[in-house]
Amino acid sequence: MVSLLRNQKVRNALLQVLYVGSLAAMILACVMIARRNLAEQGITSGFDFLYKSTGWDVNFSLLPATANDPYWWFFLIGIVNTLFLGGTGLILATIVGTIVGLARTSANELARLLGRTYVDIFRNIPLILQVFFWYALITHLPTPRAAHEAFGMLLTSRGLYVPIPNVGGIAFAAAILAVIAAIALPLWLGRTSRLSQPFGERLGIQLASAATALATAAVILALGRLPDVPMLDFPALQGLNLQGGLRIPPEFSALAIAIAIYGGSYIAEIVRGGFKAVGKGQMEAAQSVGLSPWRVFTLVRLPLALRAMLPILANQYVWLMKATTMGIAVGFTDFFMIVALTINHSGQTLEAIGILMGGFLAINLSLAAVFNRINKAIALKGNQLRG
Amino acid sequence: MNSTLPSGPAVRIEGLDKYYGSFHALRTINLSVERGERIVICGPSGSGKSTLIRCVNRLEQHDGGRITVLGTELNDDVGNIDGIRREVGMVFQHFNLFPHMTVLENCMIAPMIVRKRPRAEAETTARRFLEKVRIPEQAMKFPGQLSGGQQQRVAIARALCMQPQIMLFDEPTSALDPEMIAEVLDVMVTLASEGMTMICVTHEMGFARRVADRVIFMDGGEIVEEAPPEAFFTSSRNERTRQFLSQVLGH
Ligand SMILES: Nc1ncnc2c1ncn2[C@@H]1O[C@H](COP(=O)(O)OP(=O)(O)OP(=O)(O)O)[C@@H](O)[C@H]1O
Ligand SMILES: [Mg+2]
Repeated sequence: MVSLLRNQKVRNALLQVLYVGSLAAMILACVMIARRNLAEQGITSGFDFLYKSTGWDVNFSLLPATANDPYWWFFLIGIVNTLFLGGTGLILATIVGTIVGLARTSANELARLLGRTYVDIFRNIPLILQVFFWYALITHLPTPRAAHEAFGMLLTSRGLYVPIPNVGGIAFAAAILAVIAAIALPLWLGRTSRLSQPFGERLGIQLASAATALATAAVILALGRLPDVPMLDFPALQGLNLQGGLRIPPEFSALAIAIAIYGGSYIAEIVRGGFKAVGKGQMEAAQSVGLSPWRVFTLVRLPLALRAMLPILANQYVWLMKATTMGIAVGFTDFFMIVALTINHSGQTLEAIGILMGGFLAINLSLAAVFNRINKAIALKGNQLRG
Repeated sequence: MNSTLPSGPAVRIEGLDKYYGSFHALRTINLSVERGERIVICGPSGSGKSTLIRCVNRLEQHDGGRITVLGTELNDDVGNIDGIRREVGMVFQHFNLFPHMTVLENCMIAPMIVRKRPRAEAETTARRFLEKVRIPEQAMKFPGQLSGGQQQRVAIARALCMQPQIMLFDEPTSALDPEMIAEVLDVMVTLASEGMTMICVTHEMGFARRVADRVIFMDGGEIVEEAPPEAFFTSSRNERTRQFLSQVLGH
């Protein structure tokens, strides 16, 4: 028995059991205390409220929403809104960060200076101030009657109005999936080709797959087209108000821009670090075998830099995802705000917060899991110390 | 730029000057290397050996004088630089393999992209040269999974796959453990016996004795002495050379 306790594996297992056990006991105690307190106040706990209709409305939703819809549907709307805001913010922040990060590693002194100034400014202003700044700026844009117009989009103080195709909802969703496939398929083919047929020999297949997916998207849109209306629904002024198109509210734009610019300044540093981590020797070797500067970049510098950045980038993405909860500051109905409203209206504080935490955990754990998979798949094999 | 080109030296360096800022790293270097000739360059640390051979494939840009490689002058003309790099292979002290590609891919990438060889042909060539450096069984491994000596032999194979006419070596064995030095030197000796034009920066004096046609001693950015190995090792009259030799040959 004593010798069993000396065994390292047994000891580790025992510690794990103790740890998990005490954690479970603590949670159980909290829940029981909370239930008793709530019962004393006459609040019924439980998740029955999820099926009641809310009686209030949201100002922005990608899904159809009315005040008659139940709470669970509103939570779903909140999650979709958060994902939409987070996704848009992350993509824009990545674009901004890549440009600024590359400027910071550039040989051009002016580009480096501009990049550094950008990072110094936007990284050091709190995100919430930046959200308020962009929100103030956007809500001071012209009224709908004097809207700025560009590419069929209308820029007004009441939001950005963009044209949308006049197609059924399902067809629209399917077309979006096809467009995503058009982007993802060539990438996936390019990735698998590294093992069997390296170095861009599959370019033909990649282009063909992208074209096929795009054509599919076009066919879906054409088939799903609503009868007797033009293909594209342009926003236009009717009376005092704008009709048609999709309205992107100022709250969303302000948040997306703030996340893009603030997140971009952090991502720029990650990008710069990634490129700095690439050994000069590898690049010189690539030059010495006669590869052109473009090939040195795409075949050696970028792939190695990406491997250095990805783990840190994943952290940053999770962090920015959590930053979408700033939505409540300007009144964007993201997941957090829906939960806050739910608590106000229903009083189911513990349940709503539980759902909030569960939702964010699920979103961020999936994000982290995806990045872990990618990291594992592309990790450099073997020992990278040399000399 | 091909092997049918008329005669003339493989590399001709005339009045070469190189500065790093205000530091004069190479001072009016003159050196001509014939086709098939094997040159060993040695000298104390910081004497400009690396700088000199890195000028030959434009990893460093020279500030004065002329460098002509296989009849093509090395200047700002990108076409000339590309043409010369295709014909000049280089092996580095720290191997500098591409860590995200397999050994085979390391060897195939340049022939396929720069020489536009079909994949099958590039693979055959790569396997042939891996055989030649005696590691055919490592083809599907990644560089990080090999020993230093194996990595350096892959680096030699990678350069050879471009079928260059000139090979540059910058201290190819000085990052290796003693027991791995021999396996790399063996490959280099074989290469020399096959008539490859080689410019090697190395302090392996046994190698210099065995294969060099000429040994060049550099100090302070200048070529101090230039002689066939026998004369260089036994009858050098230059004070700096003798001092250096007594250090590397071990008193
Ligand atoms: N990129 C650079 N910037 C500034 N100075 C440099 C640079 N590269 C080399 N030098 C200087 O030029 C001189 C020659 O360097 P080089 O690397 O050619 O020496 P070396 O003979 O190869 O020495 P070692 O045996 O240590 O490799 C050294 O004094 C070095 O400090
Ligand atoms: Mg050196």
